[in-house]
Amino acid sequence: MSDEGDLGAVAAKGRTRGIVARHAGILVALVAAWEISCRMGWLDPLFFPYPSAILLGFWRLYITQGNIWPHLGLTMLEVLVGFLAGSALGIALAVCVGMSDRLRRYLKPYVVVLEATPRIAIGPVIIAAFGFGWTSKTAIVMLVCFFAPFVNTLNGIVGVEPEKQSMFRSMGASKVQTFTKLLWPSALPEISAGLRLAMASALGGALVAEFIASNAGLGVLITQYTGTLNMASAFVCVLTLSALGYFIFRGMEELDRIVVFWSDGDRTDAMSRRRKAAWRAKMGTTS
Amino acid sequence: MRRILTATALGALVAMPAMAQDTTTINAVMPKQRSANYFPLIVGEALGYFEEEGIEVNLLPSDTPIPFVNFLRNGQADIAMLDSAEVLQAIAAGVDLNVIYEVMQTAPDGIAISGDSSITDVEELAGETVGLVSDRDRVTMQIALDARGMTEDDVTTVVVGEAGPTLAAAFRDQTVAAIAGSGPDWLAIQANGIPVKLITPEEVSNKPGNTFAVMASTLEEKGDAIEGYLRAWSKGMYVAEVDPEVVAQIARTAVPEEWEDPEFGQQYLNNAIRLNVSVTETLGGLNTETWSAIQPGMQKFGLIDEQVEPDRFLQPGPVEAANDFDRAEVEEEVAAWREANM
Repeated sequence: MSDEGDLGAVAAKGRTRGIVARHAGILVALVAAWEISCRMGWLDPLFFPYPSAILLGFWRLYITQGNIWPHLGLTMLEVLVGFLAGSALGIALAVCVGMSDRLRRYLKPYVVVLEATPRIAIGPVIIAAFGFGWTSKTAIVMLVCFFAPFVNTLNGIVGVEPEKQSMFRSMGASKVQTFTKLLWPSALPEISAGLRLAMASALGGALVAEFIASNAGLGVLITQYTGTLNMASAFVCVLTLSALGYFIFRGMEELDRIVVFWSDGDRTDAMSRRRKAAWRAKMGTTS
Repeated sequence: MRRILTATALGALVAMPAMAQDTTTINAVMPKQRSANYFPLIVGEALGYFEEEGIEVNLLPSDTPIPFVNFLRNGQADIAMLDSAEVLQAIAAGVDLNVIYEVMQTAPDGIAISGDSSITDVEELAGETVGLVSDRDRVTMQIALDARGMTEDDVTTVVVGEAGPTLAAAFRDQTVAAIAGSGPDWLAIQANGIPVKLITPEEVSNKPGNTFAVMASTLEEKGDAIEGYLRAWSKGMYVAEVDPEVVAQIARTAVPEEWEDPEFGQQYLNNAIRLNVSVTETLGGLNTETWSAIQPGMQKFGLIDEQVEPDRFLQPGPVEAANDFDRAEVEEEVAAWREANM
């Protein structure tokens, strides 16, 4: 059993290395093709700067000048605070709406209308209402992060089979017990998917806020660099955002695997094996 | 040890009045973030002129379509940088607005063409396509055409956008015959080796570019702080006359993003100095005649419904206070800063 496990782990590690190598190969080929296209004049450096210039830009912005750090920190903070506040509000409201038919009837149309309104159009109104500071930027990110958790939580709660709810009722479960033992666990996979979507959109929300009115942040830096046609440095900021978005998304996926473990077959199997082993150890038996 | 303690105690005593002085925050709404384009602000901050006045500047850069006057009215901003059209429209709408300082006494607006273009004058644009950096630049084009006896119907217009690369490509590829915009729009393009020529008629430039405006009520409540703000701004402006290299050095530190290409940074600053340094003897002086002269044109192009007497909104009091500083003292401070930092 132990040998099989080791062999499996080695094979998995090998597969991961293979995937990483393949992706690295594709990336290097793409970057090389880009560089050659720029040098041959097939790509306009005004819109697509030389990858070598972007590489130097990374060195400049992150190491020699180091001016990207405070902007990056601020954008990440806006994303984090806006995401936490927006998704908490979305989930909380969805729980209330999901538990009450009357509230659902009254509130849902307004939420849908708000969802259909383009965020970029609401941005200036929020700035006018909340001012130029931290509050308005967080409010924009909150708004962006509100809908996906709201809709998914609501769907998750409303979508629980009525038979299960009847069974809970017939067994005399209280409202709180029905919520904590049935509705919440059933809705959790959908809530988690909503949170992943919200996190992915949060970055866009923060950028919108920074484009509209801000003294700092990656959005401001991009505006400054494109305004001065310093496209290599602008690309450094854009690629930083892409990397940030990617790692945030992967982080959320990992969190999802841990928290909502029962939605992942492999993880459920692994957990069953662990519990089985623990049980056997406790009972003093071996396989 | 005793000496150190005595020196520390004396230092603390000397510093106490400065620490005890209350700091007033001035919320200033402007179109951009801290930039060499507003060098009096970054110079004033670097040399401590705002601090001396007991002021902390909370810059509110805004790229929203909401008129800046609204931020003055709702109290989010104490002072706003407005162009002449915004001022006159606000006055026409009955806003109790006071223009207290002319930040840029000549407008940066203009009509630019590619350096390779055969066009030499605005009148040759008849039948051509003219690009507008934004729809706000339509009036610049209208005034320029009107100066040559033409109207908007004589050309085709298209908004090319404010994005640097798009604008640069429009110049380089000559997808439009000319572009109406303002100095900073094509400065980056020139600095990146794409030749640009200006064919701006005098009538376009002959108007205040940007002004500082406040609500009358704010002037009553925060008059001293507003005057201190303007005085610090004037000192910052004066530094460019005394030693432009010091301004460049301060800008390099305050806005390194604009200096990654040093040639661009210097050209950008030179243009900003040209626009920001007052042409009148009084820094930020209000030119009543110009404010009267621009109104018929604005009325003609529908920007304002009726003309108003400049006395109704020009408030010269703060300008006097803004110029009430010892120029020799500033010169000494600049020399000392140079000695310590360059």
